[in-house]
Amino acid sequence: MANLKDIRTRIQSVSSTMQITNAMKMVSAAKLKKAQDAIERMRPYAEKLTELLSGLTASLDSDMGGAYAQEREVKKVLLVPITSNRGLCGALNSNIIKQTEKLIEDEYKDKEVELITIGKKAYDALTKKYPVIANKSDLYDHLDYAHVAEVAGEIMKDFVDQKYDKVILIYNSFVNAATQNVETEQFLPVKTEKSDSNLVLDYIYEPSQAEIVLELIPKSLKTQFYKAIRDAWASEHGARMTSMHKATDNAKEMKDELTLQYNKARQAVITGEILEIVSGAEALKNS
Amino acid sequence: MKVDIVTPDGVLFSGEVEAVAVPGVNGDFMILNHHAPIISILQKGNIRLIGENITIEDELADKFTLKKEEIILPIQSGTVEAKNNKVIILAE
Repeated sequence: MANLKDIRTRIQSVSSTMQITNAMKMVSAAKLKKAQDAIERMRPYAEKLTELLSGLTASLDSDMGGAYAQEREVKKVLLVPITSNRGLCGALNSNIIKQTEKLIEDEYKDKEVELITIGKKAYDALTKKYPVIANKSDLYDHLDYAHVAEVAGEIMKDFVDQKYDKVILIYNSFVNAATQNVETEQFLPVKTEKSDSNLVLDYIYEPSQAEIVLELIPKSLKTQFYKAIRDAWASEHGARMTSMHKATDNAKEMKDELTLQYNKARQAVITGEILEIVSGAEALKNS
Repeated sequence: MKVDIVTPDGVLFSGEVEAVAVPGVNGDFMILNHHAPIISILQKGNIRLIGENITIEDELADKFTLKKEEIILPIQSGTVEAKNNKVIILAE
């Protein structure tokens, strides 16, 4: 059995680890709340935009996607894996990296693939093996619509310039703190949905209906991109909270086990000492 | 007339005003009560909310310029939809 001092040191180190993981859990819980609020806040905008767009396209005859909806023969593919900047959040990031690798090796094996990574983890893991042309990890420093829209705008421009024929987003969609799903979403070319909802009201359109649609599609694309990053952000904190919670539990279990071991060892030492005293006394009596 | 100003980062304003002036692509125009239903693209410029007792939340106050009976919000681009005395502005 390990000696008392060793066990004591181990208990101490497990305790301090527990404190750290517990603190990280608290921090993540607070950040998760914020991230969820941000998703809530963008919902009215996204919903209204979708409503307007589907109302407008419904009453138009032709397909109004414009340059963003152009289906071309797929030769060059751009993958955008979205991970977090930091680790300690369970399998979250490795799921994204695995999915990205799978897409490159299987589905787009014969195509030319380039990557734009968002998040340090994706960049570190993928840059050695695949052509990563840009790393946009600093988006997380100031996560707001304007910065994200800028990046989305660049990607959309590349698509229109025929630099890429297809753009795919890979991110974790946020379900709840314990569940995040890997989502593979086609960003471009955009799929315009025809809805049956007809705007019965006679609107004045300024400029024309078609021009408004052309104006709204990039907006809706940027919103989609923003939502993906917002989801990834919330997922990161949810996953970290859960994994830190587990780590704290494990540390507690370990500490209990070690304490038991420590007490056993202490008991054994005392028993040994008593035994020595008794046998010593016994020896004196006999002489 | 009810006006909502919505951005991707949250709802900036929601409340009753007498009139709202927006920077349409074909020139600024003002929406008053009983305006015909309209959908218009907005360009870079200022949204002006006109009316008495317009209140905005304190934490959003730095985005607006307050004047007497008028509040100004600069935008980069946007879309406005007005129908049945309800105006929704999607702004960036």
